[in-house]
Amino acid sequence: MEFIIKQLKHCALVEINGRIDSYTSPRIDETIKSLIADGYCNLVIDLKKVTFISSSGILVLVNAQKKCIRNSMGQIVISSIPELVYSSFKLAGFDQLFEFYDDATTAVGSF
Amino acid sequence: MKSRTFPGNYKSLETISEFIIQEAQYFEFSPAEVYAIQTAVDEACANIIDHAYGGENLGQIEIQVQKLKEGIKIILHDNGVSFDPDDIPAPDITSPLEIREEGGLGIFFMQKLMDEVIFNFSQSGTNTLTMLKYRGD
Repeated sequence: MEFIIKQLKHCALVEINGRIDSYTSPRIDETIKSLIADGYCNLVIDLKKVTFISSSGILVLVNAQKKCIRNSMGQIVISSIPELVYSSFKLAGFDQLFEFYDDATTAVGSF
Repeated sequence: MKSRTFPGNYKSLETISEFIIQEAQYFEFSPAEVYAIQTAVDEACANIIDHAYGGENLGQIEIQVQKLKEGIKIILHDNGVSFDPDDIPAPDITSPLEIREEGGLGIFFMQKLMDEVIFNFSQSGTNTLTMLKYRGD
């Protein structure tokens, strides 16, 4: 799993590539927490190149979203999510907790 | 029947997924069914590491794959601590985000994505998890 972080004017864009599972999700957790600590509370998580997500990966994003919403700091939105990866969000009932965009450009423009 | 043994650590999860994907495709499952099986096995193995062994590199996970006439049977063995899956409350996926409990999502995924999920804890110290998936559900 690899990711690229782009710190933009109104938000940060995190492009993730590969699997998000119990092995890789702690790195994503650290990255998101670090961005929030740096003041980037509006985050676009682009999952275009993500091939798999487990419940541990979903919970990393859910917990970060909780923190953002609870503190009225901003929100996490998700872009370019593959259909099978989205099916796990839907199964867990977390599809209603995020805004999903077709591509990263549109998601960045939402802030 | 194919059988492979993996170290009980998170790094193994990708190798285990590759093994499961290869076997499931051989059994002519659709991409959505393969993804469902991959997810269920990943959650099962993460649970074994987290709950049965209580951490990484404290034991092994043996995975057997059997071809059925109408699907696939996957059997996982570990030598960790047994637990009663009924003690783990199912997540209420309709409750509000702010108050929602997070535990139990792994078992919830396994039970939703597979057709049968059977836990068996023997006194000899071996835990067995059997999961079945039929084609074309």
